[in-house]
Amino acid sequence: MAKHRGKGISAIEYPTGMNQNGDPSQAWIKVKPDGRVDVFSGTADIGNGAKTIQSQIVAEAIGVPYDWVTFDNSNTDSSPVCTGTFASRATFVGGNAVLKAAKEVKLKLLEAAGKEMEISPEDLEINDGEVSVKGSPSEKMGVDEVAGAAAYGHGVLITGTGAQLKPYSEITNSATGEVDSPPHSAISYAACAVEVEVDDETGEVLVLEMTQCYDVGRAINPALVEGQIQGGAMMGLGLGVLENSYPYYPSVDHRGAQYNSYMIPSPLDMPKVKTIIIENPSADGPYGAKGIGEMANNSQPPAIASAVQDAVGIWVTEIPITPEAVLKALEAKNAGDDSVRRDGKLVSFDEELSVNTVASGLSWSA
Amino acid sequence: MKLEVNGVNREVRSEPLTPLLDVLREELDVTSPKAGCHAGGCGACTVMVDGKPRRSCLIPVAAVDGASITTVEGLGTPKDPSAVQQSFIHHYAAQCGFCTPGMVVAATAYIDGGGSDDKDEIAKAISGHVCRCTGYTKILDAIAAATKQTEFDITIIAPDPTTVTIGGSE
Repeated sequence: MAKHRGKGISAIEYPTGMNQNGDPSQAWIKVKPDGRVDVFSGTADIGNGAKTIQSQIVAEAIGVPYDWVTFDNSNTDSSPVCTGTFASRATFVGGNAVLKAAKEVKLKLLEAAGKEMEISPEDLEINDGEVSVKGSPSEKMGVDEVAGAAAYGHGVLITGTGAQLKPYSEITNSATGEVDSPPHSAISYAACAVEVEVDDETGEVLVLEMTQCYDVGRAINPALVEGQIQGGAMMGLGLGVLENSYPYYPSVDHRGAQYNSYMIPSPLDMPKVKTIIIENPSADGPYGAKGIGEMANNSQPPAIASAVQDAVGIWVTEIPITPEAVLKALEAKNAGDDSVRRDGKLVSFDEELSVNTVASGLSWSA
Repeated sequence: MKLEVNGVNREVRSEPLTPLLDVLREELDVTSPKAGCHAGGCGACTVMVDGKPRRSCLIPVAAVDGASITTVEGLGTPKDPSAVQQSFIHHYAAQCGFCTPGMVVAATAYIDGGGSDDKDEIAKAISGHVCRCTGYTKILDAIAAATKQTEFDITIIAPDPTTVTIGGSE
């Protein structure tokens, strides 16, 4: 009876948004006479940072300071429709919607500024809340002055709308669910490496170290995306070794009767976590961003399973890898039964095909 | 019954066995303590009772008649946050925010009790609190920074020194 250490890795890929159905996100933006920007978007912020990210995208696209932007997703009457915060889509789909709206706002601001400054809008640019002449930065006026002139001088409301929608794909094979267009939405990639210690007497799996590497496309807010990946480490650890609402699914036997019987990792369960952020921009995300919200907790369980195999020579093919599952598999192994290994499914993904699909405009309405 | 809540004397009319949490939230409209499990398991309802962190969901209000209660509203204000609150903001230690009030109260009690910036010690101190979003990393960072209150510079956002970023282009 002893404790055994093992290492394991996993590699995953994950799309953003819904691959088959249309899942629209829409946004509209208005500029107040003092140049402050109101964004109305339906994207709910459940702590993933959608308000921050979409406000950053708007500020960047228009060329105003971040704190000039107010993001209102307070109710579904005043905000345009957004299918929701799921499928890792808030930054990618919702972000594209506000980006399009912000680009329209910028054009209208430049138009109004051109009128005021008596110069062609094409010769103007906006940076940090100021409209200036390209190549002659001293000729400038504030976005607040431009917005005031538009409201009180030109009688114009500076506003923009944006929508992002992947068109509906017809199902061509009802047996397999195959659709008539290639599934694609900013595929991102991730890998996870863990070291575990397995106690062959108690069956307990202790995750000692975890390194996670995520391709986020573009880290629009590095601290927030880092937080999502760190949070994913904890969720993936829970999925991998602790969390089980139906231990004998589909039977409801021994289902936890209260909150305390559903074990999520506590601060003391956390391994040493290291994060690697890879910026491999997508062709169609806002500033190259991809969505990693869901995949952030998908890479850890297979890495843990692989590390357990490395440590004690058993494949546990169900998660969570509980002490009971480990002991059962060890017993089977000692009895000479090595049938627990389930054959993996080989999935190939062609990145060139994926990128070309985007470039051809086949998937996205642009 | 009477309670001093965040420095203000309040009259309490709830039934004596009403949990302190429900008195705070439902009668006195102090909504920062959260009802996570209502069974003492999650830590989201933690408040200071006479300076000590307590699960307000498990305490009948009659048991703390006359006590002084402090919640995050009493630790600081948006314009003048406490060191722990500032640190949580600047280390991005909250995502959905549900566990945050309990975490901030626990962290404040830990620091008031002379706790060090040792991450293992901090993890022990907040081990009765669960967070579903952050993986605790940034919470531990925030509390560690807040232990050095006077040296703590809120203008510096400290990224995790172990995080590496690869690639990217302008």
